[in-house]
Amino acid sequence: MLRVVRKRGYDAGRDTFDSRRRACSKGLAEVKTIKVLPLAIMGVVVGIVISVLLVITRTLPVQASAESSDIDNLYIFFLGFSGIIFGIVVLFLLVSVYRFRARPNDEREGDNLHGITWLEVVWTVIPFVIVVLCAIGGLMVLRSGDVEAQARTKGQQIHVLGYQFGWKYGYLNQDINLKDQQTLVLPVNEPVIFELESQDVIHSFWVPAWRMQMNATPGQVNEISTTPTKIGTYDIVCAYLCGVGHTGMNTSLPGSIIPKVRVVSKSDFDAWITQQKAAAAKAAESATAETTTGSAG
Amino acid sequence: MTAVLKPTLARCLWVAPAFAALAILITVAARSLVGMTPVLQESTLLTVAYIAGGIGFIVGIGGFDYWFTWMRGGELDPNDHSQHGAHSWGDYFKFNTDHKVIGIQYIVFTFIMFLVGGMFAEIFRSELANPGQQVVTNQQYNGLISQHGVIMIFVFMVPVFAGIGNYVIPLMIGAADMAFPRLNAVSFWLLPVAAFTLLSSFMFGSFDGGWTGYPTLSEQSGYGMTLYQLGVQLAGASSIATAVNFLVTIIAMRAPGMTLFRMPLLVWANLATSALVVAATPFIAGAQFMAMFDREMGTHFFTVAGNGDTLVYQHIFWFYSHPAVYIMILPGFGIISEVIATHARKPVFGYRAVAFSSAGIAILGFAVWAHHMFASGMEPWLRVPIMLSTLLIAIPTGIKIFSWLGTMWGGVLRMTTANLFAIGFIFTFVIGGLSGVMLAVVPFDVSITNSYFIVAHFHYVLFGGSIMTIYAGFYHWFPKVTGRMYNEVLGRWHFWITFVAMNLTFFPMHYQGLEGMPRRVADYAPQFAWSNMLISIAAFILGASTLIFVYNMIHSARHGKKAGANPWGGLTLEWMLSSPPPIFNFPATPRVIGGPYRYGEEGAKHAIVPEVEPATVETTV
Repeated sequence: MLRVVRKRGYDAGRDTFDSRRRACSKGLAEVKTIKVLPLAIMGVVVGIVISVLLVITRTLPVQASAESSDIDNLYIFFLGFSGIIFGIVVLFLLVSVYRFRARPNDEREGDNLHGITWLEVVWTVIPFVIVVLCAIGGLMVLRSGDVEAQARTKGQQIHVLGYQFGWKYGYLNQDINLKDQQTLVLPVNEPVIFELESQDVIHSFWVPAWRMQMNATPGQVNEISTTPTKIGTYDIVCAYLCGVGHTGMNTSLPGSIIPKVRVVSKSDFDAWITQQKAAAAKAAESATAETTTGSAG
Repeated sequence: MTAVLKPTLARCLWVAPAFAALAILITVAARSLVGMTPVLQESTLLTVAYIAGGIGFIVGIGGFDYWFTWMRGGELDPNDHSQHGAHSWGDYFKFNTDHKVIGIQYIVFTFIMFLVGGMFAEIFRSELANPGQQVVTNQQYNGLISQHGVIMIFVFMVPVFAGIGNYVIPLMIGAADMAFPRLNAVSFWLLPVAAFTLLSSFMFGSFDGGWTGYPTLSEQSGYGMTLYQLGVQLAGASSIATAVNFLVTIIAMRAPGMTLFRMPLLVWANLATSALVVAATPFIAGAQFMAMFDREMGTHFFTVAGNGDTLVYQHIFWFYSHPAVYIMILPGFGIISEVIATHARKPVFGYRAVAFSSAGIAILGFAVWAHHMFASGMEPWLRVPIMLSTLLIAIPTGIKIFSWLGTMWGGVLRMTTANLFAIGFIFTFVIGGLSGVMLAVVPFDVSITNSYFIVAHFHYVLFGGSIMTIYAGFYHWFPKVTGRMYNEVLGRWHFWITFVAMNLTFFPMHYQGLEGMPRRVADYAPQFAWSNMLISIAAFILGASTLIFVYNMIHSARHGKKAGANPWGGLTLEWMLSSPPPIFNFPATPRVIGGPYRYGEEGAKHAIVPEVEPATVETTV
């Protein structure tokens, strides 16, 4: 025979919030008097204000590639829905704390509400819609244009070699290979495909102005394409921890010996290439001259 | 004097070095005997010494005493509970099989590691306060940031939840202890071994590859890198053993009447987390094992010269390390459910949705690892399904957040410090979660990956997420563990300073990343000078606020007002016992008669704790 020990309250000691529990009819009344829908709408409004503030205060590098504006627009869309969701959450948090705060020595309990199914469906579906929009936006930007193919047929092909702690470039689609160049110079409005390699550890070739980043991994060639659309000089930042010189592998640091990337007009680019070819030819000549004089027979 | 022969820390002082020395001896002797150069590579000897020393530490503390007795056919008394229960403060420094003792050992040890990891952060934040180099060299800096990450993740965040769970879960499910108490104790004692391995790497110049330790940089680094690889494996072993324990305990040892849907949500959270740990942690052990072999044994898993594949490490590493972040947040979600329900005196809104979302996050969490690798040079097509699965994970997470808001709405909110941390958690975790949704989208991610935007994101979800839940849990169960109330005034100061300082520290980092500041750097372009100074100052305030917490905990544990069994009026089983609970928890097997959150129902109970073990047990009333 089971003896059930019925306890009225809780055990031992002087409990601060004590034993008399009764259903909180007052709580139920309060749930009904604050209309949730207007509060949700107010949350959306507060959220829009937050979104606008976030968008206004955004600080981004200059848009120097064809993809930059697309990616920045994606970011603005993100700020938009983020602000709204955050606004709704924070408003409900603050209003809850204000209206449903316990009074001193308050022994009531809350409403015995275990869930509202339609509401749970709503707050599953709406985030689902938002993430679908994010996916669509992301896929659209990811697939925009066929930059890689264009770069191979009528653009530039650049081999980028990362090393501890700098970058070396090879201009692959010139009639003579311009390898081991210290400077990256590109013509504006021409697609370019980078073939990234590393001779030692993982580096990352990041040009914030182009919104472009890709690792240079030893043992493989990683490809990334873009179309620089603005003439100017832009920072190249190594974004992957590559050793003791990783901090310094950043053209934006004062005193950096690594040259930034220069995007110039087509004619300036052609002139620079001609210059580099002449220098390369001269270097090859003097090297050949040395070997012929060096080898006596 | 006999302490050095009994299973104590004192005994470890000679047993661990003895094992290490023996391992070196065996290695050198074996090599000489077969005619090889006795000492070819000192690092190999160090490695075997560390491994053997770690095993020796567990032997010394008494982890295998029972097993050794059984092995040699000695007499074993199943009713010998001498290693069980805290009878004096000294028991907390010994091999003790009581889940409550182990829980406290975990919590105190990991919290000390939190302070150590935090100190490393303060050092490198002082370097970052001004452009140029002032405090540490680049090499030291790289070592500090790497240690900060590894200590925080492997020796604080993952195990502290194991500690909280260890203390609370057997009480919550009505069990006398965990399923495998001795394994439980070994799990804990592996942590000091792991921490020692990781921290002693400073003697060898630390490890400098970040907490991720990618080859081929890991191949170039000094001996400290091997210790990182070893330490991670040790911490992983501890984690796996604990998870096995949790899984068996939760599945098999619930009190009669506690169906899965009458379990408190903390138990659900730990169930999902433990499944994650068991399935995923072997992968990082594997990755580190292979990387360690590349360094020490001349294998070529990841080396270029030996036709290895550098990228494969990243896949294996992140296949664990993404579930790891869910391991670090899911138990925290469970804690928040408990805290909000109890302090708002309301059932958790949408209990089943919250329970299933824990499982959903755990399962989906295996399908998103490559979002850490969007710019790694992996197959470009892989980025698309990973983007989709990562976006999907936002849904169950959002369900939880809205459910907690629904729990608070219409409740009677007691603004205790525990509740303050729970509410603050919602605020900061939503920010971290939203930046995570942004990062799921590939073209945006590759524009700012490996920048301070990422640092901002993960600190928002780890500090503004996990750590807030940890504090909420500490404050919530402090009266149960110590039998005394903490000081509410100090608690409030702690909360507000932490909350404000945390946001001031990590919010500006979003802007820094967007503007082009990379991560893991000791210096930066001049445009980032003022924001870095602001962040460093806020970071110091954040660190200082922890001291308020430490003082509160220690002082209140000794002089706080006596708390009684149930100061919060909670309904779950742990509140039906005295504070602190008796050594074997329940006088008789409890009987669960309803859900755990029956607030607002007149006279409703979750469970009944009989005084004596009944002859028959009914599960309906």
